Amino acid sequence: MTLLTDTLKDSAISPKATTSMSSETSDPSRPLIRVSDFDFFYGEKQALFDINMEMLENEVTAFIGPSGCGKSTLLRCINRMNDLVDVARIGRGKIEVNDADIYDPRVDTIELRKRVGMVFQKSNPFPKSIYENVIYGLRIQGINKKSVLDEAVERCLKGAALWDEVKDRLDTSGLSLSGGQQQRLCIARALAVEPDILLMDEPCSALDPVATAKVEELIHSLKDQYTIVIVTHNMQQAARVSDKTAFFYLGKLIEMAKTDEIFMSPKNEQTEAYISGRFG
Amino acid sequence: MTQKGETNRYDLHSRRRRFLGLDKDQALKGLFGGNALVSIIVLALITFFLFKEGVGFFGQYRQDIELHRRSGIEYVEIMKEQSAAFTDLNRYLNSIRGEHATLLQEQGMAFKDARAELKVYEEFIYAFEDLGYPVSEYALEMAEVAIGARDMYEESANLREHRENLLALGRDEEAADVEVLDVDLSLFVGMLKEGEADFLALNDALAAGLLSHIEKLPVIGIDSLDAKMQRFAELSRMFVGELEGYESRLAEWDPDLPVNMVSAFGSFLFGKNWVTNSSIQDWYGILPLFTGSLLVATIAMFFAIPLGVGAAIYVNQVAKPAEQNFIKPYIEFISAIPSVVIGFFGIAVFGQFVREVSGWTILSGFDIFPISERLTAFTAGCLLALMAIPTIFTLAEDAINNVPKSFKEASLAMGATRLQTTLRIIVPTSLSGIISAVLLGFGRVVGETMVVLLCAGNRIEIPNFTNGIGTFFEPVHTMTGIIAQELGEVVNGSIHYRALFMVGMVLFLISLLINYLAQKIVLKYQISRG
Ligand SMILES: Nc1ncnc2c1ncn2[C@@H]1O[C@H](COP(=O)(O)OP(=O)(O)OP(=O)(O)O)[C@@H](O)[C@H]1O
Ligand SMILES: [Mg+2]
Repeated sequence: MTLLTDTLKDSAISPKATTSMSSETSDPSRPLIRVSDFDFFYGEKQALFDINMEMLENEVTAFIGPSGCGKSTLLRCINRMNDLVDVARIGRGKIEVNDADIYDPRVDTIELRKRVGMVFQKSNPFPKSIYENVIYGLRIQGINKKSVLDEAVERCLKGAALWDEVKDRLDTSGLSLSGGQQQRLCIARALAVEPDILLMDEPCSALDPVATAKVEELIHSLKDQYTIVIVTHNMQQAARVSDKTAFFYLGKLIEMAKTDEIFMSPKNEQTEAYISGRFG
Repeated sequence: MTQKGETNRYDLHSRRRRFLGLDKDQALKGLFGGNALVSIIVLALITFFLFKEGVGFFGQYRQDIELHRRSGIEYVEIMKEQSAAFTDLNRYLNSIRGEHATLLQEQGMAFKDARAELKVYEEFIYAFEDLGYPVSEYALEMAEVAIGARDMYEESANLREHRENLLALGRDEEAADVEVLDVDLSLFVGMLKEGEADFLALNDALAAGLLSHIEKLPVIGIDSLDAKMQRFAELSRMFVGELEGYESRLAEWDPDLPVNMVSAFGSFLFGKNWVTNSSIQDWYGILPLFTGSLLVATIAMFFAIPLGVGAAIYVNQVAKPAEQNFIKPYIEFISAIPSVVIGFFGIAVFGQFVREVSGWTILSGFDIFPISERLTAFTAGCLLALMAIPTIFTLAEDAINNVPKSFKEASLAMGATRLQTTLRIIVPTSLSGIISAVLLGFGRVVGETMVVLLCAGNRIEIPNFTNGIGTFFEPVHTMTGIIAQELGEVVNGSIHYRALFMVGMVLFLISLLINYLAQKIVLKYQISRG
């Protein structure tokens, strides 16, 4: 077993444990993700400069900032999706999940990604049935028992607020759903492997206001069980769904604070300018 | 106020310059449309030409088969079939002696002693051969009559045509010099039929002789061989029993039974013989060529599918950019090797190599090894695989490349391994593309000519599929090979010429079918991807 999984297993942060114990008993402000002195490069080009931040357990953290400021880059560093980019490399610093350095050479990215799920900007269900889409993460873990799978499908689709809409047509293709439904299907799919952390990169950018509201509601309800990091360009959305907000500019973390503080009384001029729409 | 001379901004009439009454857009459209039209016309002409040259085949073939019947050759062939059955018996008998001889040799017996030992067979075998002699002699005699009749008939038909041509040209005097004798085939057939009683008498003698002959079965004293002797006696009795069948077929045979188009058709599509330039009768059955092509293509696909698809998956999913930049052009380079060069390589190097490998001791467990032939379906199939790999590789790689990257990302983000992602997402999503790549590779293999002509061994016979893996090491001939080989030496417009066009047509239809299927599948693939 890897270092990471050992640490993750030892701790009592699995979703079930947290729901039963509730946050009063454990330290409510326990940082689950910690980024320290983090520099990141695409080839010669530096994309992130000296990032230092903590994301607390069972909180929603929003990343905001103008296009190209490195929000997605940082997000994709947290589950090491940037490993897929050939030229990507870390300059300095580290990222810890549950106190384990995820860039430790002994860490297995497969295990990491089971703990740190991701929902993409563009919904990307597989060209398979709704049922198979949801249980994909279980199938690849070798789970094929029908009762377990059935239970997981219902639980995850309910968790993603999609069950009522699709329960009668689980056999139809995931691609036959509307855009908003597809995005919720992707969330359900991510939930099936029971991650601790959900990373969402502009999950609503392709959705209409009604579908957006549904997904936002969903994020709200998921907060009890998951630690969520969401990238968004929509200030209202950040204000609605998040506990903390981090503002990035040109690869630097400019300001991070409680969401109402950031929106009511930002300390930094640039933050204020960006939030009030007087930017650039 | 608009002044004269100033152009009105709202004059929307076209001001573009015109050429032959067309503006530039229309002219370009005409040019490209014209190109498309020309290629379609050329294609249509080729198709039409193929059909025109080929279609006459069935009429001619029907006449040919009819002549085969009316001249009595068909009748004689029944007798020959009987003789052949007798020869088989003889061969079996000889094989027993051969086995005995090998046995003695293995025991280290001296040649002279062995000969003495084998003496038991001698009289028995000679007497046996003598029994069959009168019947086969008779069949040969009759064959000469029938073939002579057929040849005379054809000769006179040719002369008649020649005379008519002369008459049509108005060269009456020359035409009068052409002597055409009317050949009445029924006369000859009558001769054959008259002799039937003689043949039956010969047969009766044969049956009686055979039955009494096997009473004198030599006893050898080796159990396995004696068992074979018993089997021989049994086979002989069976042969005697079958004589009646041949006789009744002879009796029922009717020279005037019409040959219809359907039987000409069937004789082409399902005929087991492709015999040309025979002194007796030519047959144009496509089956040996078709099965040969199929066998070679199957072998080729057996190697090309895993290698081509595997390489495509590797290059697209696993390989580093540096590897990609090496492997892709390299595989595509193979398709630039002229097929005649590959064929030459097959003759000069590869065939020899296969035969040598088949002699290795590790393979001695298979009794079909070592193989005797150098050029076989296997040799050609392996080389064709080499030619199909680039096609399959390139198209399959395209199909895999078309799988949206987001699928791969989603799968990996769920904690799937690369391998799981490839097998569960990438391959299923691109499966129809891969299948059509395989189909087109198959089409390439079936249509390839040079390699099979040079390396397949060119034996026109349906492979013996009961041979197990040995089937793959038989020399075969193919549809493409036969066209390349024989088209150069046929007489323009002759039935043989047309038969080759029909083979071409079958090939054409096969490729058409394959392309159609491939397109269908790709279409389905695009729909399923939304
Ligand atoms: N695969 C890559 N290779 C090279 N450079 C990249 C790559 N991905 C992103 N970048 C660069 O890194 C910087 C940060 O990009 P990133 O995608 O993180 O921005 P973002 O904040 O998510 O922007 P947006 O709001 O438009 O999504 C950009 O300058 C971008 O050009
Ligand atoms: Mg982004």
